[in-house]
Amino acid sequence: MARPSVRRAALPLVGVAVWFAPALAGGGASVYSAAVLIAILAVMAYGLDVIVSDLGEVSLGHTVFFAAGAYATALLSTRAGWGSWATLGASIAVALLFALVIGLVTLRLREFVFSLVTYAVAVVAMSLAANWSFLGGSDGVRGLPMLDLSFAGLTLTARSDRELWPYAFVLLVVAIYLVDRFRNSRLGAAAIMTHLNPRLATIGGIDPARVRLEVFLFSAPITATAGWLYAYQRAYVSADILENYFLILMLTAVILVGRRQLLGPLLATALVLVQEKFFSLGGYVDKIILGSVLVLVLAFFPQGLMGLVRPLARLARGAARRAGAAQPPATTLMEKTK
Amino acid sequence: MNLAQQLVNGIVLGHAYALVAIGWTVLLGVARLVNFGHGQLYMLGAFVTWWAVTRAGVPYGLALPLAMAVGAAFGLLMQRIMLRATFEQNLVSIMIMTLGFGYVLHGAAALVFGSTGQILETALSTRDIDLGPLWLTWQDAAIVVATVAVFLALGWTLERTRVGRLVRMVAEDPQLAQLAGIDVRRVYYGVFAFEGAAVAFAAGMVAPRTPILTSMGFEEVIMTFVVVVVGGIGSVRGSYFAGVGLGIFTALFGALVSPAYTTAAAFLMLIALLVLRPGGLSTGAAGGAH
Repeated sequence: MARPSVRRAALPLVGVAVWFAPALAGGGASVYSAAVLIAILAVMAYGLDVIVSDLGEVSLGHTVFFAAGAYATALLSTRAGWGSWATLGASIAVALLFALVIGLVTLRLREFVFSLVTYAVAVVAMSLAANWSFLGGSDGVRGLPMLDLSFAGLTLTARSDRELWPYAFVLLVVAIYLVDRFRNSRLGAAAIMTHLNPRLATIGGIDPARVRLEVFLFSAPITATAGWLYAYQRAYVSADILENYFLILMLTAVILVGRRQLLGPLLATALVLVQEKFFSLGGYVDKIILGSVLVLVLAFFPQGLMGLVRPLARLARGAARRAGAAQPPATTLMEKTK
Repeated sequence: MNLAQQLVNGIVLGHAYALVAIGWTVLLGVARLVNFGHGQLYMLGAFVTWWAVTRAGVPYGLALPLAMAVGAAFGLLMQRIMLRATFEQNLVSIMIMTLGFGYVLHGAAALVFGSTGQILETALSTRDIDLGPLWLTWQDAAIVVATVAVFLALGWTLERTRVGRLVRMVAEDPQLAQLAGIDVRRVYYGVFAFEGAAVAFAAGMVAPRTPILTSMGFEEVIMTFVVVVVGGIGSVRGSYFAGVGLGIFTALFGALVSPAYTTAAAFLMLIALLVLRPGGLSTGAAGGAH
């Protein structure tokens, strides 16, 4: 197992590799479009990651935060002419407001009642978005301007997915940085304690309800900023942004590699999206694949892919030692010592 | 708008909600399990019935048991894959897995049955009963009769028979029931097969009322949530009355306010209830979660 300091030192290298990944993969328009989408949807999943992996609850309403960011961006940029910085702020503000309301209502609900209510929030949001003319109804909101983050004489715009990639990358890095900081913060520790032993947490002076609400407020804006960039990438927003697909994708991203693996959601999102974009077997079969992966991983590899990698790595190390090889043991960057 | 007619519609609709929710009620009340793929199982039941009646030429009376058999088979398959999580009472995993199952079913059904809407017509759904100014179809009447019969039979089975006693013992304490020599695994399989068959039966009965779509499972499950929670989590009798009450509420809301927002209104009712009596419900939830 790599020491934490070694893994931390390796993170910038991973970052550089990810930065150049689309160029190395050929640099075509479809590659950049997939890369931007992977970054956006991974950021979306990081929001849910802290709820599921750290707090131990399953929010099925996170698509609402994603949609809130996208709709706030679409409506304010097309109808009020707001710029991209302003819509970013608005996306975060709307997500915080929604998270506060949903969080307060569900504060005392646990386990499946909490999940049931958050799922219902997503379904109701979808029926509202599809029917309410203020939100564009079934047509949605079209004709978003391009992303324009220019300030102080600096021109920062993105007309294509290739030009969007740096912004998606930065958003991804910020999200991962925030999740990492969260896990090393007092709130993160309190969340884990509330998750594993609420009674112990209470004895230790932690208010579980308060911790839940705070983690919810931390998580929602992350998912919402993904919606913000998604709106600019697609240039239109409609009710299909609330479809089950995004929920299933988020959950798969959180569990596929393993819980509390810092780069897990990114890797899992990349695996799913690469399959869908470059090895697609048609929309319906892709659905069956994604759903089956989710079910089978949880049923047979509850530790995620890391649960497979760890014994394999141990085996490889054992073999290397037996062979008397001098090379250092194989380590994985994402391994997180417990 | 005729108020008495809306009341009739509401009563029929309410029995439909109660019938669709019965599998979840038993699942939750008896086995402390949840199934977020319930809506997609409903969709599957509706499409198997539709396929049997319109494509294979099977009479409606035989199409229903066929749909139930398919539903039960899927229930068994789900339970087989989730067995370990069930024994660990790992509700987080079970919730996510059942969602995944629902997603797979959606994709598979769209692949097999196509993604266009269909109408399931039966011999009963095309004929009306006229009661002076009021009317309903024979299908509506059959839904009410079937719902009452199913609830009575279920209540009797759970309270008066050996099977019911075994099932309730497992619900009370799976570990101790196992020690007492009960085959807990078989009870779990049985309960999930019942869930699959019951929702398929409900779908075969209720689906002729509305056009059917392979994507309808996502929304379909909400009314079941409301019935189960309002009825007092896992209570069979409670969910009957909650279903009927919800049916009357949505029929009146749809007629008086807006048919597009009935789901939203039912959801607000659920939220209001959860906020008004959070203590009672959260203890119920904790009881179901341990």
